[in-house]
Amino acid sequence: MPIRPAIVAVGRTKFGEHYEKEPEKLIEEAWLKASMEAGVERRDLEACYLSDYFLPITNKLGLEEGFLSELTELHVPMEVTRSFSSALSNACNAIQSGKHSIVLVGGIEKMTDRWDKIRDDLMLLEDPWSYYAGCTPEANHELMLRAYIKKHGVEGDDLQKFNLALAHISVKNHLHATKNEYAQYQRKITVEQVLNARKEARKPLGLYDYAPVSDGAAILILVNEQVAENFASKPVYILGAASATDYLSYPAREDLTHFIVTELAMKKALKTAGIGLWDMGIVELYDQSTVMEMISLEDLGFCQRGKAWTTVYESCRDYRGYYEIDGKKLFVNMNGGLKADGNPLGATGGAQIFELVKQLRGEAGERQVKFEKEPVYGCALELEGFGTKGYVYILGRNKT
Amino acid sequence: MSSEPIERRVSYLGDRLRATCCQICGKEYFEIRDYCGNCGRKSFGKMVSTDLFYEMGKLEACTLVNEPTNKFTKLGNYIYGVISFHDGKVRVPGRLTDRIIKDSDEIDFSALEERNVVPRFRRRYSVDKSDVIPTISLAFTFADEYYPYQAYTICKPVKEYDSPGIVGYGVYTSKFRIREANIERSVPFIDEDSISAAVEAGKLALTHSGIASSDVGKIYVGSESNPYAVKPIASKVAQVLKLGEEEEDVQSVDAVDTEFACKAATSMFKDAASLVNYEKSHIKNAIVIGSDNSQAAPRDCPGGELDLFVGYGAAAFIFGKHDVIAEIEGWYSCTSDTPDFWRRDGEHHPMHGGRFTGDPAYFKHVRKAAKKLMERLGLQPSDVNYFVAHQPNAQFPVRVAKELGFKEDQYMPSLQVVKFGNTYSGASPLGLAAILDVAKPNERILVSSYGSGAGSDAYSFVTTSQILDKRQRQKMTVRYQAQNPFIEYVDYATYRRLKMGM
Repeated sequence: MPIRPAIVAVGRTKFGEHYEKEPEKLIEEAWLKASMEAGVERRDLEACYLSDYFLPITNKLGLEEGFLSELTELHVPMEVTRSFSSALSNACNAIQSGKHSIVLVGGIEKMTDRWDKIRDDLMLLEDPWSYYAGCTPEANHELMLRAYIKKHGVEGDDLQKFNLALAHISVKNHLHATKNEYAQYQRKITVEQVLNARKEARKPLGLYDYAPVSDGAAILILVNEQVAENFASKPVYILGAASATDYLSYPAREDLTHFIVTELAMKKALKTAGIGLWDMGIVELYDQSTVMEMISLEDLGFCQRGKAWTTVYESCRDYRGYYEIDGKKLFVNMNGGLKADGNPLGATGGAQIFELVKQLRGEAGERQVKFEKEPVYGCALELEGFGTKGYVYILGRNKT
Repeated sequence: MSSEPIERRVSYLGDRLRATCCQICGKEYFEIRDYCGNCGRKSFGKMVSTDLFYEMGKLEACTLVNEPTNKFTKLGNYIYGVISFHDGKVRVPGRLTDRIIKDSDEIDFSALEERNVVPRFRRRYSVDKSDVIPTISLAFTFADEYYPYQAYTICKPVKEYDSPGIVGYGVYTSKFRIREANIERSVPFIDEDSISAAVEAGKLALTHSGIASSDVGKIYVGSESNPYAVKPIASKVAQVLKLGEEEEDVQSVDAVDTEFACKAATSMFKDAASLVNYEKSHIKNAIVIGSDNSQAAPRDCPGGELDLFVGYGAAAFIFGKHDVIAEIEGWYSCTSDTPDFWRRDGEHHPMHGGRFTGDPAYFKHVRKAAKKLMERLGLQPSDVNYFVAHQPNAQFPVRVAKELGFKEDQYMPSLQVVKFGNTYSGASPLGLAAILDVAKPNERILVSSYGSGAGSDAYSFVTTSQILDKRQRQKMTVRYQAQNPFIEYVDYATYRRLKMGM
């Protein structure tokens, strides 16, 4: 990358139900944390890149930029996109082109205000044809699971282990979230709970396999690398950023057993960053469901196709805080993932970057990962829709 | 909330499951594409459009939906999955319909996957009462259950007849039944209505006839349970079945709904036959469909006495002059203003004028029309092989047949009300179809329909040798539907719920 964008501050709110707070209050809260951390004043900001998946629907808030302008008395360029990752991507472009040198990237979502209708909205926006056919936000995950076990011939004892492995993913993410003061669910769950929920649902995945509906906001301040050290003693650099796009309709895609967007974005991001896959020690991936976390491990390249569940199964029998893949350690979703940290769509990607920045700086407190080798890199995967868009960011403490 | 342009697009593509195939590389797409993703610009003009609605698909993967999104809650639990066509070349999302899944049922998904499915035209989801009713064919049933797959093959006509007649027919009733007293009655699934039954019957008639849908120039749909007060069923059927030549997404077919209680369809037989016989009409074939989700008030309410008899179903007949299976020999109609049965605009259920039912209404008109027609054609009861009367219950058609001098073997084969209930506009047509299913060549069928209000149409048909040739293209015979092992019986509460629909 010619100019590396550097993250100098991150801030977020707790994820969960914030019925008492206006959307602006949430973004304000995240902003105050980030701005104080970096000593950035609002008047330093040259542009704002914001994201919300559907604030206009949930809170009847169009032109979110105007609200932010009122809040900040700023009249700089502001743009809104759907996901935090797409906002960040635009911000990176602005920094790299030299157009701006200090920008804000913020994500916000307030889904619980529309609790009763949110699943219709989610599904209709994800893919209208599937919605018209009766799909729910959960059903595609279960179809992917069915397609996966059929393609890879997972049956008998293996199928039992496979199902256990998926349950372990949820248990693991909840365990991680107990050390995350911002997480929506800071409590442990058991494998039995996951399995019982599936039994109750009478289908392959149950309540504990899915990420919740959440409110929350996340913010980061992105600067040109040349000024990064003016704001932070430990800036974190964005070394690779890539995205890919696939069909809207999941059934229409060539392969139902994985997401091509993840694979493509990861390859491209690694190439830009100029590092190898296993230079990465920590990954925040998009576990809207347990099966999505498992399949993402394959799509990102960490596990062979059809094998991720064995890795998870073996690693979680006696879980030591990481997945062990061919003798190598991979720390996954240390904040609790979408499952336990929460999933306020427009802000979710921000929480992923927040976690990576804190971990890479060694400021993650109780959940701080002890990396075995330096330098260490991390990556975040965010998806939009059901694998319609995939964004991968590779972050590092060092410029190379 | 419904948005008209979007609704038009969704029904235009989704009702027929329109797909596109690239003639260069063979790649297929759901929806219409002008270009192939593989071949780019050189594929322009080489994309061929097909309707997957006439194809058989395969359920690739499925799961249970027991917490549907808001608009689907009335469907209760259902199976949702990925359906592939043409060996996986094109895939669509789909819901399995016609299944009542209880909250306690354990589903073995692997027992459902890899099985063949047939697209079904259904209501899409619930909307407000004032909204356009959204429909879709991303609803499927297993091909090895109640509704079998039958390929739609267009055959070149081999013979032209002097008189017009029936060239193809189809009957559709749902797989659900309620059994009370001594009769069984068909019950629509919750996503069915008189529109969906009309489409299904029309599709079966096309398949049976072997004529190209583009050769149909007029469609009449008779019904007294159209869910719309204003908006024809016929236009929906015309578009889903692609009747007439299609140009710039408009069908070159005349479509009209007719209404005259239970004779709304039979009344149009003569119009359809005359039309195809009139050279200057340039209409080769005309289709008449009688379809009803027969309405009745709940049992303890005024008009509730009908609730013991109402059924659900549709019958479609294509009239033409080529490859006729039953020629029309003659007809006679009569009408009087008799207030025996009516439904006021805005009311959900019809009312019965008790003292007018029976003798001054049904018997008077049915008998008159049949008698007059026999006189006109110089026929004795013994010249008729089969007699079909309108059948609101089992007693009326039997009594009138006896009065006219017919014997049991002449009238019993058409008596279908005990299997399907009174299908209103579809009732005497369904009886006629039951006869066409079994008749031999050169047999005479006398039909006498009845519509409250009141009137009757009598027709005399004489079968041709081609009735046997076409029979293999009709898997969904009346008997097949009456004696199907996949029939599911429901209790009274379920019947009312299903009948009220989405």
